[in-house]
Amino acid sequence: MRESGAGFLLAGLVLVSLICIVLETTTRLLEPVRSALGSLVTPIVMVAETPYLLGGALGELLSSRSDLLEENAELRERLLELSQISQQYLALRTENAQLRELLGSRAQLPAQVLIAELIGVVPTPVTHQVIIDKGRNAGVSNGQAVIDAEGLFGQVVEVDEFSSRVLLITDADHAVPVQINRNGVRSIAGGTGQLDRLELENVPVTADIREGDLVETSGLGGRFPRGYPVGVVDSVRIEPTAPFAAVSVRPSARLDRSRHVLLVFSNTTQAQAAAADAAAAQEPASDASQSQGPTSDAAAAEAPAGSGDGEPTP
Amino acid sequence: MNPTNGGWLILLTLALAMVLCVVHLPETWPQWLGWLRPAWVPLVVFYWVMELPHRMGLIAAWCVGAFLDVLQADPLGTNGLLLAGITYVAWRFYERLRMYSLLQQAGVLFLLVLASETLRMVVQHVSADRGLGWGPLGPALISMLVWPLVALVLGRLRDRIYVG
Repeated sequence: MRESGAGFLLAGLVLVSLICIVLETTTRLLEPVRSALGSLVTPIVMVAETPYLLGGALGELLSSRSDLLEENAELRERLLELSQISQQYLALRTENAQLRELLGSRAQLPAQVLIAELIGVVPTPVTHQVIIDKGRNAGVSNGQAVIDAEGLFGQVVEVDEFSSRVLLITDADHAVPVQINRNGVRSIAGGTGQLDRLELENVPVTADIREGDLVETSGLGGRFPRGYPVGVVDSVRIEPTAPFAAVSVRPSARLDRSRHVLLVFSNTTQAQAAAADAAAAQEPASDASQSQGPTSDAAAAEAPAGSGDGEPTP
Repeated sequence: MNPTNGGWLILLTLALAMVLCVVHLPETWPQWLGWLRPAWVPLVVFYWVMELPHRMGLIAAWCVGAFLDVLQADPLGTNGLLLAGITYVAWRFYERLRMYSLLQQAGVLFLLVLASETLRMVVQHVSADRGLGWGPLGPALISMLVWPLVALVLGRLRDRIYVG
């Protein structure tokens, strides 16, 4: 490498880098490249994660009988509790469907979920992203909502062949349309870059939001399905001079602890298309909307589908 | 960078540096430790360019940067830009840098990592609307502190395994 040649090469590479950065931030042209590179670096992420995987396996291997019995009893109790709730759920769901029919509004679509496991964390403090072990092979798609056992977790931002990346709701780039569970006041919950805090944006000082209110997804914008808990209002600060109230929300999902998450296949757009088709063919669309779910080999739990689901209203 | 003639060692150390880049601490540890992660890949790239300037060039460094972009979720090209800059400095002055003591090299690396992390912050500020701050100082200081260790370990490896 001659000296001047290296200078030109450096200038060229700088130019290419800048073009790439601009393309990446303004368009989605480079997504296939990113996805291909992502598949290549997955082994590196896996290697970095082995201490935790091994630690988990070792812990399972060495856990004592009494611990297991205790855990078993706890899970049994929890199962009982949940099955009692789900008994009511069935009745409530039918009643809800009937009421919606009376109101003339469209029935809610069933959501399917797919269990995924965390295999890596993007370790830079400013970006909150994690990597999960389901990718294109499991039917994951960009923009899909991700929840954990407690609440909304994030959304898929990049799909590789065998893994995908999830942007957490607390990332400074992330925002989710929400409503207050108590009275339906709508707002947008933006990430702050801190793992334990979200902020409701542009809340008027007069809005009826109190400490302890449950914040849930509103389903507006079509990206997140409606009704998943996002967090609990932590504090409401009203300053006389500020135009908006500062409402901070503590996320319900255990963003830094959960190892298992659920990918939600809400299929709103696909199901709407299917419903339109059905309207044309005068056939129930439930078959069409169900055929596009995840592959059934994984733990694809399907919410019980009623006969009226997915049908357009007359 | 062909894998024969010991080139596999270069690839292996680079892969190891990338693993160190994505290893994360247990969740119970304080979060601010995340700001104190050494810039492993730039350190290793700097070492190989300084010692074997004919084996590791600008284009190779840029490609390593592309992998790093995906690992760290930066816009594609960011790390390539930074690594190409570091590689150019190391390549341009390798004869002089080799004569320096480890401490002087550490000083040079402090400046290089500080510059590159600052540039990364600016890129993120422009592309993702992130704030500006004192963040780059952490990696720069820690990189300076771990440089003697990296240089010694890689030097030992080269004593055992011939890389031409």
